[in-house]
Amino acid sequence: MAEAKEVILRGLPISKGIGIGMPIFFAGVDEDSPQVTISKKEIEEEIIRYRRALDLSRKDLEKLQSMSIQEGPPEIVAILGTHLEMMQDPLMTSGIEERIRETLQNTESIFRHLIEEYKQRFNSLQDAYFQERVRDIVDVSQRILGHLRPLQRLKMGEMPSNSIILTHELVPSETVEASATLVSAFVTAAGGITSHAAIIARAKGIPYVANVDIKLLKKLELQSVIVDGSQGIVIVNPSRKTLKKYQELKKGHLESYKMLKSASHLKGETIDGYEVRIFANLENPKEIDLLIKNGASGVGLFRSEYLFLSRKSFPTEEEQFQIYKRMAKALRGRPLVIRTFDIGGDKKVDLLPDARGIDYFGSIGDELNPALGCRAIRFLLRYPELLEAQLRAILRASAFGEIHILIPMVSDLGELREVRQLIAKIQKDLKGKKIKTADHIPVGCMIEVPSSAIMCDALAQEADFLSIGTNDLVQYVLAADRSNPSTSDLYFSTHPSILRLIRMVVASANQSRKPVILCGETAADPSIIPILIGLGIREFSVAARHIPVVKHTIRKWRILEACRLAEGALEHASAQELKEYLAAETVR
Amino acid sequence: MKLIRKVKVKNSLGLHTRPAAAIVKLLQPRKSAVFFTYRNETINARSIMSILMLAAKKNAQIVVTIDGDDAEATMEYLVNAFDQQFGEK
Repeated sequence: MAEAKEVILRGLPISKGIGIGMPIFFAGVDEDSPQVTISKKEIEEEIIRYRRALDLSRKDLEKLQSMSIQEGPPEIVAILGTHLEMMQDPLMTSGIEERIRETLQNTESIFRHLIEEYKQRFNSLQDAYFQERVRDIVDVSQRILGHLRPLQRLKMGEMPSNSIILTHELVPSETVEASATLVSAFVTAAGGITSHAAIIARAKGIPYVANVDIKLLKKLELQSVIVDGSQGIVIVNPSRKTLKKYQELKKGHLESYKMLKSASHLKGETIDGYEVRIFANLENPKEIDLLIKNGASGVGLFRSEYLFLSRKSFPTEEEQFQIYKRMAKALRGRPLVIRTFDIGGDKKVDLLPDARGIDYFGSIGDELNPALGCRAIRFLLRYPELLEAQLRAILRASAFGEIHILIPMVSDLGELREVRQLIAKIQKDLKGKKIKTADHIPVGCMIEVPSSAIMCDALAQEADFLSIGTNDLVQYVLAADRSNPSTSDLYFSTHPSILRLIRMVVASANQSRKPVILCGETAADPSIIPILIGLGIREFSVAARHIPVVKHTIRKWRILEACRLAEGALEHASAQELKEYLAAETVR
Repeated sequence: MKLIRKVKVKNSLGLHTRPAAAIVKLLQPRKSAVFFTYRNETINARSIMSILMLAAKKNAQIVVTIDGDDAEATMEYLVNAFDQQFGEK
């Protein structure tokens, strides 16, 4: 076989590391389906193709239904039943077949028109709830369409090993499913450095390059692919020489990571003995063992919204209580910081139609400017019953370990006060019912909105701790969208303005003698860590797999040098100057 | 026998997927032909997709036409289901 030509594509580096493997095109939910006209001769063939897909889809649903009857919530069983009914609907069976005959279009385009018709009807109603109902139809159609194109029905959790996933865009719920032992790398057309899919890819250690022309790749004959997530390079059909070079690079990466990991039980302290505590960010409660193994002092940020991102429906108070309790116990006295649900706004949840809580999203509708919209604590205060259920679950679990509560996206002191009042009310209620809780549960504020950074002195007085979330803070301060390829250049996580704000927050926290923890992605960047220490940060929270690197970096610095570095950094007023200064000063 | 009657959608969310499925299920053992007419559109009430197509919200007045041997009993069942808001009350 003739060797295909080596092609090198440049993209945006998102998650470091090298992946070598076989390409797999992964079809996202809204990917275009081919629309073609068919000839009269092909009608019967097309109808047979459709019937077979319909048949397979029904079998899927029956299998899912029998699985859920044993363990799933009753709502889901009911939805699956309804979807089955829809597939037996005359409009779906004979109706579609008639349309194929009449219009001479392939099944894909007929479904697209059908969905459009329903969308138009429901949208004219201006009723968010009804508009949501289109999803049932979309869902059923997609299941059938998926069987028309069987090759693309692969699930993210069931990829063959050494897969390089090529897709238009990654969504968080799919990325969470991916396994680092099977998926060697991600390559996408859309996506930014701090999108949620990117955060998860980095946490899992899966290399990822975005801004790559996937449509072009589809046209090439692909045999193997190398992804260099550190340089943002995708090499298609590498020559033997290139392949060898990257295999060696990969081996080197693995060895140095192993070496760092073997030292991760050591304390995070500077050469001159200042202790810096490293906590872990956590999405999946099952990964607590991993973070302890990597030497974490506890969980510095539990992103509780992943509890339903993965199940696509709101967990009940009881379910949450069981999970939090198990986590607190597994940590054996180490702190567990639970951030209340950070959802709504741009953190859209692809909830199942009719899932618990879908109405909460429906009534907000599509926001014109979701990043500045009703999300996180705003969302929770709009629906206090959600917040109350979560707080009750946390308070009940607090009897079993060291639990702290963290409020996301605080933009006004009033929000902290409201949450405190609610906690006091719940605590009184639980006490009346003789349910044990911890005596004092610390409540902290996320500092990720400019207003809260500016007002940090007041917040520090009333909160028990502060947590700087640099991902969002940078996006809001610089007014640069985190996942927009055209603004990701402006999104600079150590912009002079950000350094000044961090210094302000640390000073306020120190004045009120309250701890401050930094939990953005910058906390895992060896070139930024020394400045952050120099600015006075003594607690970091990073993805578990970064802990060895962070500790290793900290052990190479003296506190005085770090302070000098930070002072020097604060003198540079433009992003470019600061970048040059840091590049020259932080190499060790 | 042919019966025609107006019924009102009483449940707050209108004729969405669940009520539509309930109607189709209720009609399965019945023999008569059943049609809904709403805003000058008449559809077969044995089809979930068609019922959804009506996009009937709360308080919509739907004309029910039932034609067949068990029309009377079918109408009674159907009206009752609308009254009971398909178990969503």
